[in-house]
Amino acid sequence: MFNDTFFLLSAGLTLAGALGVVFTKNLMHACVMLLGTLFGVAGLYACIGADFLAASQLVIYAGGVVILMLFAVMLTGGSSDQANKFGIEKIAGMGNTKTYIFAGVSVAVISLTLLKIMAGYMKTFEQGELPPLTSTVEEIGTLLVTDHVLAFEISSILLLGALVGAAAIARPRKG
Amino acid sequence: MSPSVNEYVNQFEIHQKLVAMVSDFLGFDASGLMAFLVFAVTAFAIVNVMALIGGLGTYAERKISADIQLRQGPNRVGPYGILQFLADGVKMIMKETIYPAQADRALFNLAPVLALLGVFATLAVVPFSSGFTLANLNVGVFYLIGVGSLVGVAVFLGGYAANSKWSMLGGMRGASQIISYEVPVTITTLSIVLLAGGLSFGHFVENQGGFPHEWFIFHNPFTFIGFFVFFVGMLAETNRAPFDLPEAESELVSGYHTEYTGMRFGLFALAEYIEVFVLCGVAVAAFLGGYKVPFDLGNGVIFVEKLGLPAIIGKNIGQVLQLGSFVTKTLALYYVVIWVRWTFPRIRVDQVMTICWKYLTPIALFNLIGVVFWMYAFDNQSLWEILSHLGGGSHGGHH
Repeated sequence: MFNDTFFLLSAGLTLAGALGVVFTKNLMHACVMLLGTLFGVAGLYACIGADFLAASQLVIYAGGVVILMLFAVMLTGGSSDQANKFGIEKIAGMGNTKTYIFAGVSVAVISLTLLKIMAGYMKTFEQGELPPLTSTVEEIGTLLVTDHVLAFEISSILLLGALVGAAAIARPRKG
Repeated sequence: MSPSVNEYVNQFEIHQKLVAMVSDFLGFDASGLMAFLVFAVTAFAIVNVMALIGGLGTYAERKISADIQLRQGPNRVGPYGILQFLADGVKMIMKETIYPAQADRALFNLAPVLALLGVFATLAVVPFSSGFTLANLNVGVFYLIGVGSLVGVAVFLGGYAANSKWSMLGGMRGASQIISYEVPVTITTLSIVLLAGGLSFGHFVENQGGFPHEWFIFHNPFTFIGFFVFFVGMLAETNRAPFDLPEAESELVSGYHTEYTGMRFGLFALAEYIEVFVLCGVAVAAFLGGYKVPFDLGNGVIFVEKLGLPAIIGKNIGQVLQLGSFVTKTLALYYVVIWVRWTFPRIRVDQVMTICWKYLTPIALFNLIGVVFWMYAFDNQSLWEILSHLGGGSHGGHH
């Protein structure tokens, strides 16, 4: 019962946050709602016993990414002045007939494909038993430096590249 | 050791009988319900005691600062003015809530709650004693760092939502400072994780002993430096002086909570004082032996064997001793934090960043590598163990 309650809470938080992000017009509010969604996703990870993943989600997204987004939104100006002084909208409206048709077709295609893939599982669906909760930290650590060492190293090179690039862009230029 | 307070309570017969009685009465297996009740009561107690400690923290801050500055401090309300924080609380609740013009009301209301939420969420993994811990998560430290970062978001939002230049600058300073100092603090914690062999606070504490020479701070020279890196980073993460740039009153009025009145300001202040306590507790658990009591008095076996007490009383005496050990060390560290605040002048913004990125982070990385090297070269023995081997074991500990 605890697992179900926890799952429902996390899923509700995720969905509510995601809908809030889409429907709010204020970018700062959207960022804060995204924080709720990310917490909900961390809760979903915790539901399936992925404790390390849940904690990483909290550290990386809630701690780092959301603050970074808040900084970026704040420093690049708010969303209050959408029209310039001549009354013309700076940002083109997203919702016209063309975009709605395109979005509808995409939704239909994607959901049909997903349903096609999931149909096999849904027919033979059984409530599975969760394995007893054990620490996943050792497993993840072992896998990262054995089976997936290439991906691990490549991502570290990518991050180093991003770091050097950011430093190069932010460096004050001479002359 | 027991992973949480529920398992600790469950080992006693009297509790098992109670669960059976409730099950009989209700007609279904009540162990889940009872576990929920145990957690609810413990969480309620911890949150209330922490709020009290936060309140008393403000009193301690004023009294100690008065002591350092040769003043009296609060001395009117109650004996030695100890009820001053209650009077302040009543005053804050009575105050009117003022919203600045064009403030973002939703975020303005959300920010203080978020700050308190982040701090209270960290209390779930603080190891008060081996039995009195809400949850001994496998990823305890990682979880604590994660939810603790909510405070950074709250500080930033508080600064943004008030629509004031001072708040804004304070919030931006706060967020950048908190994010930056997370790096050396996390790397230093990582070196302790390596020594302890696990991410949970249970691992941290159980791998240390009751005596100072068994603590991780004296395990090797690198952890000794690491403790001070951690302590400085901790001061900066909780926005304590000399790193209180986000609320520098000489330039920013009072930073990110300039526009807050009444209890909303109170929530920010409370969150700060409780966070200091929590991080002091983390430092104690990671470096200063946590809840360990000398001579293994903490598990209570000696009371049962020597004094002939029943097991339940012996164990609980042990728990109380552990709780006392943890709280005493934490409050001692708390005193140092306040002492530092009223001794050092505030440093400049650029100096804050320089200290973090040019000094603490390289030192923390060096420490991490040093600890790994030490563990490899000396087979994970502490300095004390090596010395006692050299001295022929004549003055060795009980290893």
